[in-house]
Amino acid sequence: MIQSEKQLTEKESLALIAQMINRAKDACHDTGIAAIMWGAVIAVCALVRLSELHFGYKLPFDIYWLTFVAVIPQIYFTIKEKKERKVKTYGDAFMDYLWMGFGICIFLMIYITGTMYNEWDPVADEYRKLTGHSSSFRMYEFTSSFFLLLYGLPTFVTGVSMKFKPMLWGGLLCWVCCIITLYTSIKIDLILIAISSVFAWLIPGIIMEKDYKKAKQGLAQANV
Amino acid sequence: MIEEKFSPQESLRLIQSMITKTKQDMSDNSIYFLVWGWITFIACTGQFVLKNIVNYEKHYQVWWLIMFGVAFSIYNGIKEGKKKKVRTYIGDSMKYLWIGMGISYFVLSMILTKIGWNSAVFPFFIMMYGLGTFVSGSILQFKPLVVGGIIAWALAIGAVYAGYDYQMLFGAAAILISYIIPAYMLRYRNETANK
Repeated sequence: MIQSEKQLTEKESLALIAQMINRAKDACHDTGIAAIMWGAVIAVCALVRLSELHFGYKLPFDIYWLTFVAVIPQIYFTIKEKKERKVKTYGDAFMDYLWMGFGICIFLMIYITGTMYNEWDPVADEYRKLTGHSSSFRMYEFTSSFFLLLYGLPTFVTGVSMKFKPMLWGGLLCWVCCIITLYTSIKIDLILIAISSVFAWLIPGIIMEKDYKKAKQGLAQANV
Repeated sequence: MIEEKFSPQESLRLIQSMITKTKQDMSDNSIYFLVWGWITFIACTGQFVLKNIVNYEKHYQVWWLIMFGVAFSIYNGIKEGKKKKVRTYIGDSMKYLWIGMGISYFVLSMILTKIGWNSAVFPFFIMMYGLGTFVSGSILQFKPLVVGGIIAWALAIGAVYAGYDYQMLFGAAAILISYIIPAYMLRYRNETANK
């Protein structure tokens, strides 16, 4: 805000206009690699957990650790994209802040639900011992709902602000699935998480990547 | 896409008009922060008083106050929608973000209705307050909102360890720090900038 108070020189003002024009160009220049990766990772995690529950086996590690491993290529993509970006537009900045905030909230959500689960679990055990049957309330049954709630927000906002309908619908689907998971079993919840991540990230990511490659080819042919 | 060539004077005028419009947008946004901030603050503290001091059984009924916020947002949104002729990228981004936040609060309320409002609901709301203000503050380049958002996230963690009765006070503190104080600072800066 304070920055915007100063009078801009002609050179600065032209640079700003160039940024604005690039903003329009950038709309079709975003690579979909990160979206493809996260869509695939979340879907795989949910489906592997589902198969563990359904077939009664257990991997020697928690499959959701894959999401932490995926942070490494994400850092690589971010650094690479930043190097390739010639100008940072308002749109880029908005997306960066939105997805950064989302990332922080995912960690917070893991922490909050984990802490609540650890507090609730002994109480539920005690209840089972005393009454002989399980409590009707089970905290872990709501974990999927909380995460789907979060998945929907940045996906929807990205879709609306980039005028990119596949993500807009993907974000809305996350919220719809979130509400459905309130009434379904864990197995169905996991299927809904996999469906949401495919439609919110994987498919839009593939479309973005195709558009990106097309735009790049077009620019190369036009020698821009 | 933009074929016309701008002269330096024209481009300067365009930028000046964008800056003026952005200032106006920021001033408009502070009203929403203030209305929602005060309503939530009163609801949080009101629920604390009703539950712990008055010992009123249906203490959560105080949350019906948010209907005033909904009515105000709809009324003001329609009024502003009619009035606004010029759109800015920042204004649009803020609008889309807060539409998303509004839907998220609604969906979160549905989850918590199913779990039960007497359980530890506040950490989730406080976390969402933080997300909205952090992103808004970052895009508006307004540090008090960014800092408010980060403090709200810290309070969300703290609230997990507080009993339900005291989580309301964590909610009130988060709203005060992330919505109300930054909104007044935003208004003050805009007023002094416009003088």
